Amino acid sequence: MYPSICPHRSSRRARALIGVLGAVVALLAACSSSKSAPKLPGSSTRSSSAYDAVIDSAPVASSSTVSANAWAVQIKKQGDLRVGGTDAGPLFSIRDINTGELTGFDAGLSQMLSRYITGKSDVKGLTTLTITTVDTRETLLQNNTVDAVFATYTITPARALKVNFAGPYYESGDAIMVRKDNNSINAVGDLNGKSVVTEADSTAALDIKRYAPQAKVTLFQTDAECVAAVQQGRADAYVLDQSILVSDASANPAVKVVGHPFTQEPYGIGLAKSSPAAKEFVNAWLRTIFADGEWARLWKATIGTVVPGNPPAVPSIGSVPGS
Amino acid sequence: MDVIRHHYWDLLAGFGVSLELTLLGFVGAVVLGTVLAVFRVVPVAPLRSVGTIIVEFFRNVPLLTLLILVVFGLPDIGVTYSLFTSAAICLALSGAAFVCEAVRGGINAVPVGQAEAARAIGLSFTQCVRFVILPQAFRTMVQPLTNVFIGVALSSSLAAAVGVAELTDRAHQLTLRYADAVGCFLASGVLYLTLALAGATGGGWLERRLAIKR
Repeated sequence: MYPSICPHRSSRRARALIGVLGAVVALLAACSSSKSAPKLPGSSTRSSSAYDAVIDSAPVASSSTVSANAWAVQIKKQGDLRVGGTDAGPLFSIRDINTGELTGFDAGLSQMLSRYITGKSDVKGLTTLTITTVDTRETLLQNNTVDAVFATYTITPARALKVNFAGPYYESGDAIMVRKDNNSINAVGDLNGKSVVTEADSTAALDIKRYAPQAKVTLFQTDAECVAAVQQGRADAYVLDQSILVSDASANPAVKVVGHPFTQEPYGIGLAKSSPAAKEFVNAWLRTIFADGEWARLWKATIGTVVPGNPPAVPSIGSVPGS
Repeated sequence: MDVIRHHYWDLLAGFGVSLELTLLGFVGAVVLGTVLAVFRVVPVAPLRSVGTIIVEFFRNVPLLTLLILVVFGLPDIGVTYSLFTSAAICLALSGAAFVCEAVRGGINAVPVGQAEAARAIGLSFTQCVRFVILPQAFRTMVQPLTNVFIGVALSSSLAAAVGVAELTDRAHQLTLRYADAVGCFLASGVLYLTLALAGATGGGWLERRLAIKR
């Protein structure tokens, strides 16, 4: 008997290949059938036309306003706003799988800003999205790959050393999601000694360490993975922006949101320090949409679809350190 | 760079986890891969088929896919490993497929005459593999195995995607806090480079030791 090369007969190869493919298909089927796919809010078309209407009714700047600002002139010449953000953030910036359109609160603001400057009305053509993460946001602004970052970008003094922040345009807070049958976690203090997951691109990781120093923090890439971790018992709790958690919980009966928001997250629009004119222009635009109610209408069409009640009070521009 | 000066300890702790993952993954890959390679050369057809199926599966599924299947798929059928264990298992399984092919390549590189001679002097299959084939095969395996080691070391960074607090994850967490992505990833890059170069140096040393002096 030789321990040597077994001759490759093509029929055996083919059979092995079929075996492998069969095993893969069976595995995938087992994985996908065991639980229904999570439904993400904002990925349905239900509020799409209402959303488009909000963008289409947004104000347009007079040509003298634009020509008085070097940054705005540049954007108008480009014809669209180069935005840094994400296409997988429920409620804030997510791509509608049916229309390919980017929708959400952050996405809507970026489209409204672009409309304000360029005067265009085609929602899809207003912005060009570059996907950014925590690791790339500042750099993409600094090297002028994007004009502005709309990405639930919490204003912090450390970040303000690298980029300028317009805003805050929204104030949110972190809340806690647990499994339905979990009654031991009711407030942030209860997270001490527990395993807590959060999204890798969120400052929630820092908040957990501040408010519950003994919590064991694990980072996952997406919202869906964090929910799965809680649902499967891999983690005791999931901490993130309250509105996102509420929308997750409304789509998934196995989990619930407990307690009140325990942080204040002021979200700002990231702008390059090399274009100092941008901050002043964007702040002026924010004041316009705060005053004419467009901001509140956008809130209703996006976050307001899962969070009941009236839009919150508008934040005051420049009110937090770093803005 | 201030961030690195004040938090080098964090990065080093992450490097420790990366090192553990790499070693566990590589040792697991060598053990499993050798077994698989033996499966693929034994004169028993069903074993060869099993070996082929396992190797082709793990060699052709991206490691990230495998990680997500093990971390988020297995709990659905009631099997939950810790994140670290899941990552180590995935690295070992995907590494094993490549080790298997390296070992099989090494075995096939031993002239058939060697096996025939071993048989002629009355060695059993096991003895033939152990005393004649493998020692000679190992020499040609060193470089491919070094490549697998480097592959496992660098792939261990994917474990950050499923929440293992290794080097890439720590660099990411520091960036989250201090907004210095370039500095943090330069530092982690240097550490990965060190790990990979250490593997390559070890491989080179082993190769020189095993070389036949003529």
